[in-house]
Amino acid sequence: MESVYLFALNFTWQIAALALLALGLAMVFGQLKIMNMAHGEFVMMGAYSWVLVEKFGWSPVLSVPVCIVGIGTLAFLVERVLVRHLYARPFDSLLATWALSIILRECVELVFGRQFYNVSLPLQGSLNFGFVSYPAYRILVIVCVMVVFAGLWFYYRNSRLGLRLRAMVENPNLAQAHGINTTRLSTSVFVLGCVFAGLAGLILAPTLSVYPSMGIDALIRSFFALIIGGLGSLEGLAIGTTIVSGMQSGLSAVFSQTVGYLGVLVLAVIFIWRRPNGLYTPR
Amino acid sequence: MVSTLLVSLFLLLALIAVPIFGSSFLAWQLGLFLLYGVAAQGVGLAWGAGGFLPLGNALFFGGGAYLSAFALKATEGDLWINLGAMLGIAFLLGGLAFIVGMVLFRGKAGSGPSFSLVALALVLIFSQLANSATGLTGGFNGFSGYQPLGNLDAFGNFYFVIVVLVVVVTLALLLVHRLPIGLLLRAMVANEDRLALLGFAPHRLKAGVFAGSAFITGLAGGLYASHQGIVTPQAIGFLLSAEFVIWAAVGGRMHPLGPLLGAVAIGWLSSELRDSVSWWELAVACIFLVVVLLFKKGSFQIVETAINLARRAGLVPRTARHAVILTPPNSKAAEPISTIRFRDIHLQAGAVRILNGVTIELVDRGVLAVIGPNGAGKSTLLNALTGTLPVTGGDVFSGEIQLTNRRPHEVLSYGIGRKMQIPSIFPGLSVAENLRVASFAGRFKPWDFFMPQAMRWQSPMVRRVLAGAGVAFDTGTNDDAQILSQGTKQVLEFLIATAAEPRVLLLDEPAAGMSPTESQEMVRLVRAYIELTGASIVLVEHDMKVVEALSERVAVLHFGEVLAEGKFDEVRANPKVQDVYAGGHK
Repeated sequence: MESVYLFALNFTWQIAALALLALGLAMVFGQLKIMNMAHGEFVMMGAYSWVLVEKFGWSPVLSVPVCIVGIGTLAFLVERVLVRHLYARPFDSLLATWALSIILRECVELVFGRQFYNVSLPLQGSLNFGFVSYPAYRILVIVCVMVVFAGLWFYYRNSRLGLRLRAMVENPNLAQAHGINTTRLSTSVFVLGCVFAGLAGLILAPTLSVYPSMGIDALIRSFFALIIGGLGSLEGLAIGTTIVSGMQSGLSAVFSQTVGYLGVLVLAVIFIWRRPNGLYTPR
Repeated sequence: MVSTLLVSLFLLLALIAVPIFGSSFLAWQLGLFLLYGVAAQGVGLAWGAGGFLPLGNALFFGGGAYLSAFALKATEGDLWINLGAMLGIAFLLGGLAFIVGMVLFRGKAGSGPSFSLVALALVLIFSQLANSATGLTGGFNGFSGYQPLGNLDAFGNFYFVIVVLVVVVTLALLLVHRLPIGLLLRAMVANEDRLALLGFAPHRLKAGVFAGSAFITGLAGGLYASHQGIVTPQAIGFLLSAEFVIWAAVGGRMHPLGPLLGAVAIGWLSSELRDSVSWWELAVACIFLVVVLLFKKGSFQIVETAINLARRAGLVPRTARHAVILTPPNSKAAEPISTIRFRDIHLQAGAVRILNGVTIELVDRGVLAVIGPNGAGKSTLLNALTGTLPVTGGDVFSGEIQLTNRRPHEVLSYGIGRKMQIPSIFPGLSVAENLRVASFAGRFKPWDFFMPQAMRWQSPMVRRVLAGAGVAFDTGTNDDAQILSQGTKQVLEFLIATAAEPRVLLLDEPAAGMSPTESQEMVRLVRAYIELTGASIVLVEHDMKVVEALSERVAVLHFGEVLAEGKFDEVRANPKVQDVYAGGHK
C-alpha cells in the first residue's frame, strides 16, 4: 500500500516540477510564438545562482534576488537586441535563440567549468503523513506550484492580458494603433517568461545535478509538454505536463527510464503530425 | 554548364593535391570534415533549395554509418560489393525520408518549424535507441571490428573515395541548380500555392528534396564508418545534427559549396582549437548568431557578391543562356473538357457558412461573371473548384468526372487554371523565370525535371495572347517580378495562368487595382485568350465596366446563394440585385 502512495506522490512531484519548468516557455512560446531554444539555458542559469552565491560566500537566501535581477536584466537585453526583430519569423527566431543557447552555455562553462555541482536542500528532513513519509522540500514545491498556478489562472481569466497579447502577435501595427504599447508588452512577457524559467531552475536545483548542459532536457520536455497540451493556455500546460510526466513515470516504473523517454518522444511526434494544436485549444 | 564543370574540376584537383603535397595524416583529417561537409550539403539542399529546416539530419548520417558498418562486417572485403551495399543503404534512407516527407508535408504540420521539431524528436529517438540497443550497436562504446570499404587504408587510398563522393555530390547539386528541378524548387519556396495551381504538388517536391538530402547524408555516413573504423551514438546524435545546420548556415545554404566550406573551415578549426582556445565554441556560436541575423546566405554571400561585381566590371564574361526558345510539347490542360457544373455547393469554415447551396453551370465558351458584394462567397466558389477549401456539401462535375475536393495541384490536369485575387506570382524570380515555370505547367513529363532543354521552353500561348491583344509586355526581362507595379503583376499572373492553355480559366478580380487603361488591356487579353482557345472563363470582378465588356452571362451571389442569373442587362434591371447593390432592405 505504501508504494502506491509513494508512486502517487512521486507522480505529483514530477508533474509539479515539469509544470514549473514549462511555465516560462509557455509564456514565450505559447504567447509570443517565439520558439525559445534558449529556455533551458535560462533554467540552467537559475540553478547556477546557488553556485554563484556560494562562491561569493553569501547567504543562500540571496540566490533568489540574484536570480531574478540577473536573469531579468539578461532577458531584457536579449529581447531588445535579438528577439525584438524576430517576431513572426519562426525559423530565424528558432536559430537565433539556439545560437543564444550555445553562447550562454559556453559562457557558464568558461566561468564555472564543466563539473557537476550539487546544491544542498534548503529544507532538510521529510514530512511523515503516517502512512508514508516524503521529502519536505518536495512537498513545499508541490504546494507552491499549486498556489502559483491557481493565482495565475485567476489573474489570467480576469485580465485582458491574453487578448492584448494575441492582438500583438497577430498584428503588431494594428495593436499599436489600438493603444497597446507593444514594445513594453512583448518585453515584459519575454522577461517574465525567462525569469520564471530561472526561478524554476533555482527551485529545482537542489533536486538535480547542476551542470552547463542541464538545460537541454528541460527544454525538450517542456517543448513536448506544451505541444501535446496545447499552446496559449494554462489548461493546456496542465494537461500536457500531466500526460508527459504520467507517460514518463508510468513507463519508467513498468519498463525502464529509456522506454519512458522514448514514449514521450514518440507521443510528441504523433501529436505534431496529427494534432499540431494539442489537446486543449482555448476558445 | 561550363562554369559548373570548371568549379568541379578545380575542386577535384585541389583535393587530390592534398595528400601529394601534404601529409597522409592531413588528408585523413580533411577527409572527416569533407564527409561532414557532404552531410552539411544535404542540410543545405533541404534548407536552401527546399525551404524547410532539417534539425535531425544526423539521423541519416548515423543511420548510414551504422548500417554500412553492419554491411561491412557481413560482406568482408570486396570493394564493389561494399560500394553496392553502401548505395543500397543510401537509397533505403532516401526512400524512408521520402515516405516521412510525404506524410509530414502533406499533413497539417507542413514545412514550418513543426517539421524541424519532428526531425529533432526523431533524431533523439534514434540516438537513444543506438545508446540502448547495446547488443546491436555496441551502445555507448560504439560498434567496431569491421574491415573498411574494400580493405582500403583510411590513411591512404580511402581519401580518394571521399574526394570522388565530394566532387560527384557537388557536381550533382550544381547541376540541380541549373536544371528545371532547381527552378521549380525556387518557385516552390517563393510561392507554394501558385506552383500547386500550375499542377506541381509542393509536398511531393519537398519529400523528394528531403529524400535527396537523406541520400547524400547517408552516403557520407556510410563512408564515415570506414573512415573512423568505429561508429558511436555521437554519429546519430542531436549535437551533430545541430552542427550540420550551423555549418550550412555559416558557409551558406543557398550554394552547394557553402556548407562544404562551412564544415571544413568551422568544423576543422573547431577540432583544432576546441581544447587549446577555451572561448572558441563561444566565438563560433557568436558567428552563427551574426549570420542568422545579418547574412542570410552565409559567408558564401561574399563570394557571390564578388562574382557579380567582377561580372559587372566585365572581368567574367556574361554568357547569354537560353537564347533559342523551344516550343514545348502540347499542354494536357488544353484538351477539350465538358462543361463544369456546380450542384448545391455548401461550404462551411468553422462556424461561418460561406456557401449555402450554389448551383451554377459554366458557359460553354466565353465568360460567366460572378458578381456580388464583398463576403458574398465569390472567391470561395472558385476555391471550391480548386480545392483550396474543402466543400462540406454538394458536388462539382465536369461531364462524368467528379471534381469535388480535389487538391489544388490536381485541378490543372482537368483543364482548370486560376488567377488569384491578390496577384500571385513568384517573387524573387525574374519575369522570364516566372513565365518559364508557367511554361512547364501541364507539359511536364517526369524526366523533364532533369532535362536542360526544358529551360528554353516558352509556352506559345504567352506570345500569341499578347500579340492578339496588342498588349506590350516584356516577357524576357531579368527584373525581379516582385518590383513590378500592381497592374503589371496582374498581367504577369494572367500570362502565368494561361501559359498552360487551360480550357477553364478562373479569373479572380483581374482588374483590381488597375487604371482604366490597364483594365481595358486586361479585357483585350481575356478576349484574345477566348478567341485563341475557345476557353470558358469564370470572372469574379467588381469593375462593372469589365463585367459588361466581357460577360456572356452574369450570376449574382449574395450571402452564399445565387440571387440572380442572366444577361448583364437583365441582372442590372433586377430589383433584388439593385437592393443589394444600392443598399435597399435585404
